[in-house]
Formats: sequence, structure tokens, C-alpha cells
Amino acid sequence: MNSRYRVAFILTGASVLAGIAVFASVDDAQSFALQAAEPYVREGFQVREDYWGGDLAAGEKKAVRQQLFKGNEYWFWMGTEVNRARISVHIYDKDGKLVEQPDSWQKGHFAAAHVVPTSTDSYYIIVAIEESPEERTHWALVYGFR
Amino acid sequence: MISVFKNSKVAGFTLTVVALSVQAASVPQQINIKQYKTVEDVVVPLPGEVFSALNKLGPVNWKEYVRTEKSANFSERPRTALLLGNVIADGFIAVQAQDAPAVKEIGQRVLTLAKAIGVGASITPHAKAITEAADKRKWENVRHELDRTQNSVQQAMDELQDQKLSQLVSLGGWLRGTQILTAVVDRHFTPEGAELLHQPDLLRYFGDRLTGMPEYNVPVVQSIKQALGEVRPLIDTGGKPITPAAVKTINAITTRLDGEIVTR
Repeated sequence: MNSRYRVAFILTGASVLAGIAVFASVDDAQSFALQAAEPYVREGFQVREDYWGGDLAAGEKKAVRQQLFKGNEYWFWMGTEVNRARISVHIYDKDGKLVEQPDSWQKGHFAAAHVVPTSTDSYYIIVAIEESPEERTHWALVYGFR
Repeated sequence: MISVFKNSKVAGFTLTVVALSVQAASVPQQINIKQYKTVEDVVVPLPGEVFSALNKLGPVNWKEYVRTEKSANFSERPRTALLLGNVIADGFIAVQAQDAPAVKEIGQRVLTLAKAIGVGASITPHAKAITEAADKRKWENVRHELDRTQNSVQQAMDELQDQKLSQLVSLGGWLRGTQILTAVVDRHFTPEGAELLHQPDLLRYFGDRLTGMPEYNVPVVQSIKQALGEVRPLIDTGGKPITPAAVKTINAITTRLDGEIVTR
């Protein structure tokens, strides 16, 4: 293999490995989000298989827009694999009004928000990395309904 | 000792209340949602979510809506993707009806369609799990496996860079779910039941996705695109209730589309 090809090969390999590392971390974050959901499954919540995630800097926020149905009750659970991070999740309606129940909670690298929609509509789930020792912190969000 | 215990309990309770209050106080009660970047345009709900809400409005005779007859096979991948979503939604209906033979048949049908579209390998274990759970009448497990099935199909498609097909799977499921929702609400109309149709962002989302698929120039995709435009004013009512006539019309539209999806 000539040196140009070798460099290209190494770079490709490094990119693949970096990609795997990113996915592995978001997957790790998902396992923490699912861990937060565990007690609620026993209360009859169906946790959806799909999840949403990525990485954010400390202080950064993102929104997940979601169609919710009146009559159902929803919990959204967020997790990260970064132990010393503090994360949060909150739920707003499309007019930007906080609509979550008071039992929503935040504990270190876990957070959860509870909503009983008063109308069938789109809602905004705002996820944030409040504090983190890492430059970028992986996060994942899962949800369940009953 | 008792008083110390009591005092520490009170102190603990006070601290908890203070901690919760601090947290509550720091959460803004009002935000400008436009300032946030969204991770995904809009999350498409599973058919089971709307059925769950529908169940709370009164008893539904789900057996009436179970369908197991085999639909046509298609060589065009977009048609197979739409049908796959449609059949997975049928699986959720069969779970609501607690119809084990139907669930098992649908599980096999999903596997056949997934193989036809090139993602069969990821579905085989789920099809097996669906059959096993249906035999044991473990409906929660069946529901979970159907969710996993849809997720695995879409993940496999994403890995093959077939995100557009993945979106068609979601669309096929949503259309079948909406057809059944409107059929149930039309049968026993209530404003609460009709409100479940208030999904304007999803409609816009699917419309945008279809506009981004000019290469899928098959008649059914064009029909769906046109139909979404017909449905939009009926559900995006600007705060006014969705009428019985609108529910009936949406049912007629989605039934027509269902016919185009399942038949050659």
C-alpha cells in the first residue's frame, strides 16, 4: 500500500472508529434514560423502543417536537453516561407555556418530565445539559405513555 | 429519640420542599419555542398511542377492525414500504382485539414484506417473538415487539441510507391508524374522539417528506400527497372543534388511500 493510500486508510478507519464511539456514547446515554424509566414500566407505562439523542455543550438546549394525545399520560426520561453532568428535561405547549406536572424531576445525570395533555396537539420537549465536566455531553431521551 | 426522629423527618421534608421549590422556580414558565433548534421535525407516534387514547373514551369493538387477508406484493419499494407500515398498524389493531391468530398471521406478513424490501434479517427474531407472545396471550409483549419491529425496520433502512423508505413506513402506519381512528369516531361521534385527529404538524411533516421524494413517482404516493392537502383544512381548524362531517370525510379519504396501498 503506498503512503497516500495508507493515510487515507488510517483516516477512514479513524473516522469509522470515531463514529462508533459517538454511537456507543449515545447508546450509553439511552441505557441511562431507560434506567430512569424502569420504575414507571411497573406502573403500566409503555416505553417506546425509539429514542432521540445527540451531544450538547453545557448550557446548550434542544427541542424535540412531539404529537401528544389528550387522554394519554406521558413521561419523558432523559439520561447521560457522564456521571458528573446535570441535565434537565421540560415540556412546553406550542405557545411556549410550561405544561409539565409538578412531580417532574431532575437528579444528576437523570431527569424526567411528566405531562397529562389537556389537548391533542404538538408539544415541545426541551432537553438541556445544565452542567458538565465534558466539552460535549451525550444525551438520550425516551418516552412512555399509558 | 422520637422527637429527634420527628424533627429530622420534618427537616428532611422541609429540605425536599425547598429543593423542589428551587427547581420549580428555576424552570421558566414561558419560553419562546422558536429560539430552539429541534432534533427532529416532529416525532411520529405509533398507532398504539392513538388507540390507547381512543380506548379511554369508551369501549371499542376492535375485532371489527382486525384485518388479516393478504394484500398484494409489489415490486416497487415505496409501495412495499407503505404496505409494511400499514400491516404493522394492523398488528397493533389485532393486539387491541386480543386476536392471537391474527397477530401471528400479521407477524409472518411483516416478515415477508421486510424480506421483500431487503431488511428481513433484522425482523426475523421479532416475528418469532410476536408468535411466541401471541401464543401465550402476552399482549403487552406483542405490542412491545411490534414497536421493536417497526424500529428495527426503520433502523435497517436508515443504515442502508433508505431514510425515505423509512418515512414511508411511518406514513403507511399513520394512514392506517387514522383510518381506524376516524372509523371508530364516526361510529360513535364525540368531540373528544374527533380532537384526537388534531395533528396538523404531522400532516405538514408528511407532506414535506413526500415533496422531497420526486424519485418515487408512483401513483399511490401522488394520491397520498394530494389527499394530505385535502385533510389539512379539516383538522387544522384554528381552535374550532373538528366536525362529524370532517371525521366522515377523512375516513373516506384514508379508506380510499388504504385501498390504493393494499391492492395492485
